[in-house]
Amino acid sequence: MTPANLLVLATLLPIVGFAIVVLFSSRIGSPKFWPWFTVAMVGGSLVCSAIAYVTFMSGDGTPQVEAWNWLQMGTDAAGVPRYLQVGPYVDKMTVLLFAMVTIISTLVHIYSIGYMEGDPRKNRFMAYMQLFTFSMLGIVLGNSLLQLFVFWELVGISSYLLIGFWYEKRGPQLACKKAFVMNRIGDMGFLVGMGIIFVKFGGDLILRAAPAESGGIFTQLMAMHHIDPLHAGANEWWLTIAGIGLFMGAMGKSAQFPLQTWLPDAMEGPTPVSSIVHSATMVAAGVYLTARIFPLLTPAAHLFVATIGLITLVMAALIACVQTDIKRVLAYSTLSQLGYMVLGLGVGSYTFAMFHLVTHAFFKCCLFQCSGSVIVASHHEQEMTKYGGLIKKMPITAACFAICTLAIAGASIPFLTIGGEAIALSGYYSKDGIIAATVNYGDALAVAGMNWGAVFYWGPTIIAYVTAFYMTRAFVLTFLGKPRDKHLYDHAHEVNWTMWAPQVVLAAFAIFIGWSFFNVGANIHATAPATAQPFEESQMEHGYHFVHTALLHGFGWIASIALGFVIYVNGFTISSRIAAIPGIAQIHWWLYNKMGFDGLYDIIVVNIVKTISSLLGAFDRLVVDGIVNGVAWIGKELGFLVGGFDYRYVDGTVRGSGRAAVRLGGILHRTQAGNIRTYVLILFVAVFTGLAIATPFALGWVWFGLPAH
Amino acid sequence: MNELFVNLMIFVPLIGAIGCLLPKNNPALSKMIAMVTAIVVLLINVALAVAFYSQAGGHGYLPSGGDTVVQFITDKVWIGSVNIHYLVGVDGLSMPLLLLTSILNVLIIAAGWNVEKHTKAFMALYLVLMFGMYGVFLALDFFLFYVFFEVSLLPMYFLIGIWGGPRKEYAAIKFFIYTLVGSICLLMVMLGFYFLVPDVATGAAVVDGKTSFNMIALASDTGLQHAFSHGGEYWNYAKWFFVLLFISFAIKVPAVPFHTWLPDAHVEAPTPISMILAGVLLKMGGYALMRISYPIFPDAAKWAWFGVAMVGVVSIVYGAFCAMAQTDWKKLVAYSSVSHMGYVILGLAVLTEAGRNGAYFQMIGHGISSAMMFFLVGVVYERAHHRDLNRFGGLWNTMPSYTGLAAVGFFAGLGLPLLCGFPGEILSLMGTFGSISWIEAAPEWVPFAGSGAGVTVITLGIFAASGVILTAGYILWMFQRVYLGPAKPEYTYSGRDMVNTREYFVMAVLALFAILLGVWPAVVLDMIANTFNAIYAPFTSLTTTASAALGF
Repeated sequence: MTPANLLVLATLLPIVGFAIVVLFSSRIGSPKFWPWFTVAMVGGSLVCSAIAYVTFMSGDGTPQVEAWNWLQMGTDAAGVPRYLQVGPYVDKMTVLLFAMVTIISTLVHIYSIGYMEGDPRKNRFMAYMQLFTFSMLGIVLGNSLLQLFVFWELVGISSYLLIGFWYEKRGPQLACKKAFVMNRIGDMGFLVGMGIIFVKFGGDLILRAAPAESGGIFTQLMAMHHIDPLHAGANEWWLTIAGIGLFMGAMGKSAQFPLQTWLPDAMEGPTPVSSIVHSATMVAAGVYLTARIFPLLTPAAHLFVATIGLITLVMAALIACVQTDIKRVLAYSTLSQLGYMVLGLGVGSYTFAMFHLVTHAFFKCCLFQCSGSVIVASHHEQEMTKYGGLIKKMPITAACFAICTLAIAGASIPFLTIGGEAIALSGYYSKDGIIAATVNYGDALAVAGMNWGAVFYWGPTIIAYVTAFYMTRAFVLTFLGKPRDKHLYDHAHEVNWTMWAPQVVLAAFAIFIGWSFFNVGANIHATAPATAQPFEESQMEHGYHFVHTALLHGFGWIASIALGFVIYVNGFTISSRIAAIPGIAQIHWWLYNKMGFDGLYDIIVVNIVKTISSLLGAFDRLVVDGIVNGVAWIGKELGFLVGGFDYRYVDGTVRGSGRAAVRLGGILHRTQAGNIRTYVLILFVAVFTGLAIATPFALGWVWFGLPAH
Repeated sequence: MNELFVNLMIFVPLIGAIGCLLPKNNPALSKMIAMVTAIVVLLINVALAVAFYSQAGGHGYLPSGGDTVVQFITDKVWIGSVNIHYLVGVDGLSMPLLLLTSILNVLIIAAGWNVEKHTKAFMALYLVLMFGMYGVFLALDFFLFYVFFEVSLLPMYFLIGIWGGPRKEYAAIKFFIYTLVGSICLLMVMLGFYFLVPDVATGAAVVDGKTSFNMIALASDTGLQHAFSHGGEYWNYAKWFFVLLFISFAIKVPAVPFHTWLPDAHVEAPTPISMILAGVLLKMGGYALMRISYPIFPDAAKWAWFGVAMVGVVSIVYGAFCAMAQTDWKKLVAYSSVSHMGYVILGLAVLTEAGRNGAYFQMIGHGISSAMMFFLVGVVYERAHHRDLNRFGGLWNTMPSYTGLAAVGFFAGLGLPLLCGFPGEILSLMGTFGSISWIEAAPEWVPFAGSGAGVTVITLGIFAASGVILTAGYILWMFQRVYLGPAKPEYTYSGRDMVNTREYFVMAVLALFAILLGVWPAVVLDMIANTFNAIYAPFTSLTTTASAALGF
């Protein structure tokens, strides 16, 4: 089988699993069987992806595209049908991400078995996980914007089901709806972008394998229409709108400012959901989309993307510093890291952004699983104020958490290189690359006269220190120091193997996945469009030089970690004093309340929409329908008038007017009961309504003038 | 043989209706007769579809067979003095809608199985309604079409007025009169044709010096088309006729601002009647636009594109907002129909192939999803005896299998990909954006022709696309209020109150079709492709020349 076929198979296995579990799990099979069945299905996907990975990487890397007709749009002049197509598009990035998604998904499936132990709807949960995996794989596999959008929405709905899994509670109900609706706001932009691409590129929504330049999706289309995104003339307004529109889709899925609020709330779902949503699926989809549309982005769109990424990463990191719910800290850390990726794409560092996506997926998935284990061990307590000293009870989890904290902090051994390469955990390689690229971008802006461009590298650099700080804070508060809740501590215990084993595997990945031996960065760079910044350190020299001598020194993480350790090793004693300082207290309050976005959206925006809808609803009932009823009423009254006239005077001369008046009263009563006279009245009403229509018609005829003939 | 089948499709329901009335004091037998009739018609319809699509040339289109794609024609003089014919036949435009109608008929009779009040009359009237619906989709003579259009009204009036809810009389009369207003517009156009056509027609549109009401001939007569085109001697008439026809059919669709009969009719109608009303009767409006307005008045359609598109966009957004404001579950679904049918209007308005395909697909997809949504509401209403969204909650726990199917139905309504609501929406939207190319190249009498086209169309597209947010909003909010939350004891059903096999059957079949159409939309789009090519030839050349001018 070709890699493309294998990947199609890998995509379909989970949906088959989903269908089987949904249809049969309540009827047959033991409770133990179905969860492991889903693991087998996703494991099958993993095997297929692994084979595809090996086969494809050993080949020459030429992208494989298949296009299957899906939606017919009509026919062209020659009578040939035109289609919106779907199908697999396989390049190095596709196989790499398939491997990543299936590894993480398999591990999360296994983890879920332990985590969801005892939940009566465990099978349903596993089925949703299958659907989720299917949707994400469909996005990665997609050869066209249309397919991306199809699976994009399916990711949305599966996250809706998963986040709202415990739908009896109010929190998950609101969180799942919020996640979906916020995503849909982004999707609106996606649709608009897709529509513009559709018309401007002659209806072709397919990613193309351009023969001259491997993986340059859209490059062929661009060439066809003589648009070079790097060229100043490429700032065509519609192309910018299309790029920003498509990126809006990414903002929704990857929770970028200002659509970020759903992601922290999404933790209302079971922790395995968080661990997969925040790593390999969903949020990864947005970054992936932005990477795929990279060649379409005009300089203006690039600036927009970079700005959004910068705002998100700064904002989220600051909020993460003050949260006390362990999952919330991790959620904001995800937001911040996604900000790095989006910023990376904005500044043109296609390679490092995607590289960071891969490394981040592993350590963030691990961090969430560790937090889930802690939550299970402490009877679903999520507040770090109650934790402390858990390292003695949960050594494996603590070790995994520590490794991933170092990975996300970008830890490396200072001044030590082997073969010209630093010895570091995975996060170091990808994050430093992004920051180096921002240095180049900021300088380029400065050269163009925009001196504020420096903000694009000071932001991520400072936040790199902050990241190490807040992650250390989470680790120290949870695992070190003295137990702050005796009861909780006494009952804590290491989790069972289905939960810690995936953590260990993920932690191992978090250590080594960035090493150049595994070629992740190089493989991604093989798919980079011509307009992306270079990948090799030597080619990005200026940025790297600046980052590693002036900004991070290769051991910038040490200071932050030490600071975090010192402040929090005794719990909140020091930090609460700092937070009590006037001025800082207000900032602390503001950050603790997530900078007020939830209030803004939930109270103001939602209420505006609800008000508009109830106003329009009332308008519809009173005005639009009122006109209809008014016309009908006039017609009816006229009917009664004429009918009454007929009855009273024309007919009445025969029968005597006195009796007739009594009868009329009777008619009026009986019409309400569906009397046959009602139907006669219809005729009157119809005639008069017809006249009402015909009069303007006749007037208009006069106005337009009768045609001369 | 196939010609006979076409006629049988129209008249078998009528025979069935008489059959339903015969048994005395035996409602079960009446129901059986109705069901058998529906199944027989479905089988005839399937046979007809097989015969139609297996012909030479594929998909029923015979390139060498003259100027028509319509097959299995029966042409009999009906009222000779004014040249009115009994002219029926099928083509790709009618076939998918016929199949939809036939499938829904079986399901709806199953859904109406528990009607206890005047069962005999209910079934008989329903079969008369079937007679009208098939007639509308099969008639090719304008007058005959008009007759069937009216015939479908009357049984509907009684079905709502007798079996409806508390305000049934009001709703029934409103439905009847409102649609009748539309019919008057139709009648005016017909009179106009009668007096105007003979002077200019050069081909089949005039027979013995009198207007032929053959709709295919009207659309293909070169002399008439010339007179109706821009600058032709009947250009003003063409505009008026187009507007009148549009009003008539927009009422049926219904499009804002002609939509207010719909929520009332739906709220009062019994479940099966809501299903057929949303599933098929609304589609008569869209079908008539595609069959009559656009082929006969291509230039007027270009002249009116912006106005019609605005009606579509306003319907989408306004309908969605109104749906969000409702607390009556059925009213919410009714307004969602207004919103969804907006995509039909929008897709047609922009005169692109993708838009037309989207409009047509949306009709079929919405036929499935709306019928399903109304049935889902009906299942709960029969047990809970109210439809107040704020009082529900926790149905997912008390009725899990039903909720699984409900998720399919409502997510299809939400426009989720791989379900039947999505392809129509996306094609309609893509078609809207696609219209930039021809409007940019259009002559100046077309609104927003020239360089302003891009901004106008993109703005329209943004508003139309914003419908997806609102749709998600009201569907998910509804879903939350009804299905999520802790289980409530008052909605816990057991024994005879549990959802029964008959109801599962209806829901499962609809869910299957929702998935089938979503995953494999070509099943519909292939059926219409060649017919669309033939009857929309004026627009096809329009888009291709524009594309050529822009270098695509």
